[in-house]
Amino acid sequence: MDLQIRDLSKTYPNGVRALDDVTLTIPRGMFGLLGPNGAGKSTLMRTLATLQEPDSGSARLGDIDVLREKDRVRQTLGYLPQEFGVYPHVSAERLLEHFAVLKGITGRRARREVVDGLLRQTNLHDVRRKKLGGFSGGMRQRFGVAVALLGEPRLVIVDEPTAGLDPAERVRFLNLLSDLGENSVVILSTHIVEDVSELCTRMAIIDRGRILLEAEPLASIAALRGRIWRRVVARGELPAVEAAHAVISTRLLAGRTVVHVHAQSHPGAGFDSVEPDLEDVYFTTMAGLHAADAAPLPEVAR
Amino acid sequence: MKLGEIIRFEAGYQGRRAPVWLFFAGVPGLTFWLATEAYVAKARSGGFFFNAPFNVAELTLVGSVMGLLVATALAGDAAARDVRTRMHPLVYTSPAGKAAYLGGRFLAAFALTALILSAVPLALLLAALRPGIEAGLVGPFRASTYLGPYLSIALPNAFVATALLFSLAALTRRATASYLGAVLLLTASILAWTLVAGKLGRWELAKVIDPLGMTVLAEMARAWTAAEKNTRVIGLQGPLVINRLVWIGVALGALAVTHLRFRFAHHAAGGRRRPGARRDARAAGGDAAAAAPPVRVARTRARRTFGAATHARQTGSVAAESFRAIVTSWGGGALALLTVLIVLSGPVWFEHMGVPMVPTTGRMIGFLGGTGELVWMVIPLLTAFYAGELVWRERDAGLGEIAAAAPAPDWVPLAGKLLGLGMVLATLQALVMAAAMLVQARLGYHRFEVGVYARVLLGIRLADYLLFAVLAVVVHAVVNQKHVAHAVVVIAYATMAFGPALGIGDGLLVYGSDPGWGYSDLSGFGAYAGPWLWFKLYWAAWALLLAVAARLLWVRGTENGPAARLRLARGRLTRRTAAGAAAAAGLVLCLGGFVFYNTHVLNPDRAAPASPERRAEYERRYGRYRGVPQPRVTAARLRVEIHPARGSAEIRGTYQMVNDGAVPIDSIHVLPNGEVELGAIGFDRPARRVLDDRALGYRIYALERPLRPGDTLRLGFTVRHAPRGFPERGIDASVVANGTHFGSEWLPAVGYQAERELSGAGDRRAHRLPPRPALPAPDDAAARWNGTGAERIALDAVVGTDAGQTAVAPGRLLRAWTEHGRRYFHYATDAPIRNEYAFFSAAYAVREGVWIDTAAKRGRTVAIQVFHHPGHAWNVEGMVRSARASLASYSRRFGPYPQGQIRLVEYPDPGISLHGAPIDISYQEGFSLFDPRADPREIDFPFAVVAHEVAHQWWGNQLTPARAEGGAVLSETLAWYSALGVVEETYGPEHLARLLAMMREAYLQPHARGAVPLLRGNDWLLAYRKGPFVMYALREYAGDARVNAALRRLFQRHAAGRPPLPTSLDLYRELRAATPDSLHPLLHDLLEANTYWELETRTVRAQPAAGGAWRVTLDVHARKIVVDTTGVETEIPMDDAVEIGVFGDAVRGAPGAPLYRRMHRVRSGDQRITVTVRGKPARAGIDPRTLLIDDVPGDNVAEVTPGEAAPGARPGPRH
Repeated sequence: MDLQIRDLSKTYPNGVRALDDVTLTIPRGMFGLLGPNGAGKSTLMRTLATLQEPDSGSARLGDIDVLREKDRVRQTLGYLPQEFGVYPHVSAERLLEHFAVLKGITGRRARREVVDGLLRQTNLHDVRRKKLGGFSGGMRQRFGVAVALLGEPRLVIVDEPTAGLDPAERVRFLNLLSDLGENSVVILSTHIVEDVSELCTRMAIIDRGRILLEAEPLASIAALRGRIWRRVVARGELPAVEAAHAVISTRLLAGRTVVHVHAQSHPGAGFDSVEPDLEDVYFTTMAGLHAADAAPLPEVAR
Repeated sequence: MKLGEIIRFEAGYQGRRAPVWLFFAGVPGLTFWLATEAYVAKARSGGFFFNAPFNVAELTLVGSVMGLLVATALAGDAAARDVRTRMHPLVYTSPAGKAAYLGGRFLAAFALTALILSAVPLALLLAALRPGIEAGLVGPFRASTYLGPYLSIALPNAFVATALLFSLAALTRRATASYLGAVLLLTASILAWTLVAGKLGRWELAKVIDPLGMTVLAEMARAWTAAEKNTRVIGLQGPLVINRLVWIGVALGALAVTHLRFRFAHHAAGGRRRPGARRDARAAGGDAAAAAPPVRVARTRARRTFGAATHARQTGSVAAESFRAIVTSWGGGALALLTVLIVLSGPVWFEHMGVPMVPTTGRMIGFLGGTGELVWMVIPLLTAFYAGELVWRERDAGLGEIAAAAPAPDWVPLAGKLLGLGMVLATLQALVMAAAMLVQARLGYHRFEVGVYARVLLGIRLADYLLFAVLAVVVHAVVNQKHVAHAVVVIAYATMAFGPALGIGDGLLVYGSDPGWGYSDLSGFGAYAGPWLWFKLYWAAWALLLAVAARLLWVRGTENGPAARLRLARGRLTRRTAAGAAAAAGLVLCLGGFVFYNTHVLNPDRAAPASPERRAEYERRYGRYRGVPQPRVTAARLRVEIHPARGSAEIRGTYQMVNDGAVPIDSIHVLPNGEVELGAIGFDRPARRVLDDRALGYRIYALERPLRPGDTLRLGFTVRHAPRGFPERGIDASVVANGTHFGSEWLPAVGYQAERELSGAGDRRAHRLPPRPALPAPDDAAARWNGTGAERIALDAVVGTDAGQTAVAPGRLLRAWTEHGRRYFHYATDAPIRNEYAFFSAAYAVREGVWIDTAAKRGRTVAIQVFHHPGHAWNVEGMVRSARASLASYSRRFGPYPQGQIRLVEYPDPGISLHGAPIDISYQEGFSLFDPRADPREIDFPFAVVAHEVAHQWWGNQLTPARAEGGAVLSETLAWYSALGVVEETYGPEHLARLLAMMREAYLQPHARGAVPLLRGNDWLLAYRKGPFVMYALREYAGDARVNAALRRLFQRHAAGRPPLPTSLDLYRELRAATPDSLHPLLHDLLEANTYWELETRTVRAQPAAGGAWRVTLDVHARKIVVDTTGVETEIPMDDAVEIGVFGDAVRGAPGAPLYRRMHRVRSGDQRITVTVRGKPARAGIDPRTLLIDDVPGDNVAEVTPGEAAPGARPGPRH
């Protein structure tokens, strides 16, 4: 069972084209959706989560038409939105039970067990009687995961979950997510490259509503091997370097600028070859260069 | 300046929001609409101009109450928007400063509210200038008429409301707190007005504690004459200024507290956590999480199902969650508390003049179930509030997307929230029920009728609340903008609650309406239950349809634009939903059709015979027959068949008539009653119908041979009462399963009936009828010679009713028998009675007594009977006693009672009134509930009232006043004066003094000082209060014997009921004849002018004198004024005999024994009076018994100040 997205488009009333003929195939396992702010990630996520209507296109999860059979989708959906709140005056256990009923777990004993299990899994068991109003950001995020995981969803949509989490909470959170991929389609939208490289077996890069790359992270990294070069330049030199080379990213390091350049061959003096990572894939793709040499999917090459 | 920039930004921000513009159009628009719909008629009947300052002030107040909605929206948003939008970290860290931030936000909200309210006077000006308004209704225009109320009512109310609501929202950091605050403000105002002032009579207190000033205007409405309402500008009247200053002070205090308590600080959600809880939570969850390896938990494979059962469970879970959210919120607690407090204040609401009533369940639900009590507004208003909170609950909490993605159908949250709200309302009603029974138990009443409570509170009231809850939830779901939706819901509520009373809208068009209902111990819900149910089913079908609409437009997910929602709605319109909608629409059509058939086809224009249009047309068309000679009815022989179970009745009868005039009569005018069907008319001589106007109710029969003077004529008729279906309002409950009562007005009348004409000056002007006084003056000769209503008839009636019931009619019961399973009673009068009587039928219990007229030659006996509901026996013995004492007293004082029986008959009505028709005095159920034994003042009020009604057998039924001004003085004043004598004879002068003190409380309530003299008096205050006081004063000045002699002569002269009929002038003449000349000026002041005495005792000093006596010196002030009908006061010189009294020490709470009581001459101004008494004086004063009319009787008597008389003035007698 996989998620087939075909030609999904959405234009907002203010003219922003949030999705532009998006076509993706998402198999079981962790799928990373990478893109900058405003790329259309959340629109795609909400559309798949039945909360928004596309202008055109289709999406199928196995035999379910995601856009029309919303009730069937919801029966197998776990959704953690980018931003959400909680009822401040309710305990975690109580609210989770409420959602368990909403998710169709009506048997009292089964619900107790599921809720208890999820609270343990998300490490909220000790605070299950506390009011949600007092939860920290990370605890609240884990509570959201618990809600998303209720009812063993086959489609899990997680929208920018690690933004705003401290490193420890982030690790903890990604651990939680990694369990999910075994049985379900898990879509993780993020602008943090590490999230994807650490978790996902497949990924797509989206920008301005268009899918720029759909690939396996490791393969796409491998495809870049030998084409990324690094040089440390002084601040004043940067314009010259940018003019001469295909600079994909710049980063400050101790007051100097580290430049990554994409080139088929050694671009010249001062450049060292570097082992590419997913970030290089991301920036190469964003710069429009990745497709030129390694285009595993024809759709991207248009 | 920062403050300026904050105000500018806030005003600009709010000014661009849609709600503000909606308010700008809506508030003046609604005011205009209400003014033209309801207040034109109000001005017309009140006798003042539509643009009278007072009318404008009232409407400005109404507008400013609507302005509460504006203040709520603006203040709430201004105070709490930053927290809601999470802008607050940016704003709080700016260097603007707390004062500028709060002050700027508040001032902007206040300025916008004030600006929006400034459109109210403009709307009112337009309403008065609009073409089509009748010219006589518009007075001169003055700017102050509109500016005064705006500046003194609307603007301060806007300030107070904005300040309080802003403070509430700022301190709780929740915009919606301001809505709760507004509901509380309105409730406080209504409670001050209706409870503190209206029921407890504490007007001075109420005028201060009423935040919106309703009570102040309510007092003016009662105390000002129409002329004053036309001319006096509302602005800086004392009570209004005090009220405004107090509440502006409170508002400033609230702002100060807000400034003090408000913190530019992060505010953790859930303010009720115990301190430290957050740290615990972090320690438990946050820190441990970092280090701990992922916990592997064996997954439980929970079975999940998505069938109907699951949807039911989901709905239940949403309902439980909603219920929990409301009952744990402080608003929910406040609602419960307020409700219980209102109920616990219950006894106050249903006592009358301080006389306790037995707290029967019927009485309790009269208060709990009645929609008339304004305080119950609090429940719908809070329902509206919580409807908004529930609809927005997930989205407000940020859980909207997660909840929307849950696999529950769209209708589950809608149904769950409705159910949750319904559960809250049901719980509240259960609470009300418990509190009501607690009240009963506390008052020592233990017959708890749980079933009746359940039917009213959990049936009728809950049905209304639920219908409203559906509307509120649907509006919030569809409008999807909280403040706008609140405004829509509140306006909808106002229309539903007050529309029918204001005559706005057809019953089929006002959501949730019903034709009214009533409950009575005698007749239960009687004729009301069926129609009520049909209406509610009809509205339930609408509610279903509304719910389907809400389900289609329910916002789920992030698509909330109108176009997107409509698109989604089309997608949601599945076959089942469409079928549901079609079913609901079908039900609406079927039930609506049925109700329409009943209310418009079977009962077209049900109230029309009495509608002003028809009455005007009646006068225009047939007024020329006024005074046309007609035969007089001398006897009626009736066969009355009452069918209580079927709700119908039929009367077949004949009138015996005589031409007692001087000219032959060639045509008979027969006027049917519009409420019943009049069948064929037959005469005992050839006659031909020449006119039959069914619409206006007028028939003329031409006699072939004219009826010569002295000739008699028999008229036969059949009258049928058989309600078909039910009307839109005003269900006829005359014939019911138990407790039937209807009067002789159902029978056809003979001759043009002048009292069917429109009498109000405004109504006449509106219907272009020539002006005439409502009643002719007492010296009007035509009125005196018009014998209509005074004629005496012999009545012979056979009344049949269902087995198990007793039928009652006036006269001696000749025979009672059973025939074809029905009970028959044959009554015939011993002596002729005034032609006004009634028939009753119910399963009565009877209490009997007898009065033996020992003065009569053969010891004539009069049977006394009380026909009452078996459960209402508390006072029947007292009624018999009162009737016996009254018969004895009046026979001795005024003249004989010609009948052989007198009865009191109970009939179903929650009221407390009695009606003294000949022989049979009817009383409403409420009257049976008086509990004088529980009255701490020891006043036997029902005894006095029964004596009053028995006195009508003399004053009214024998001596029948002419239909003219002052007529009520002859009937009601003399009936009360007679009753006072019975009370004194039975219970002694102390009891009478207590009763008079209770009656005088009417003068402590707001009332218009400007009035006609007593001789022209017809209203309640003059006829039932001032009149008896005047007669009592005369008795004290002239003596019992003289006054009784005057009344006896008056009675003997007019007891036969033949023209010329007596007027108040006849009474005046007899009183003058019976009193010495020295009292004639007093008689003039009391009866012929509207005179007030302002008497005050400033200091009282007492010195011991020789021989154990005391010399008492009173410094008194006296003034006498005459107030004309427009309220203009003129001081006139005073030189009157006034009683001076000195009293000893009070013993056990009772007033001290009089040591001295004698008339002194008192002139205008300050003066000193010295008297010598035996015994130590404690109090002394001028006119201590308030014999003279004095609006402030409390200062007549003063405590003795110890010590010498004031130096410089040698005490000396100054009589």
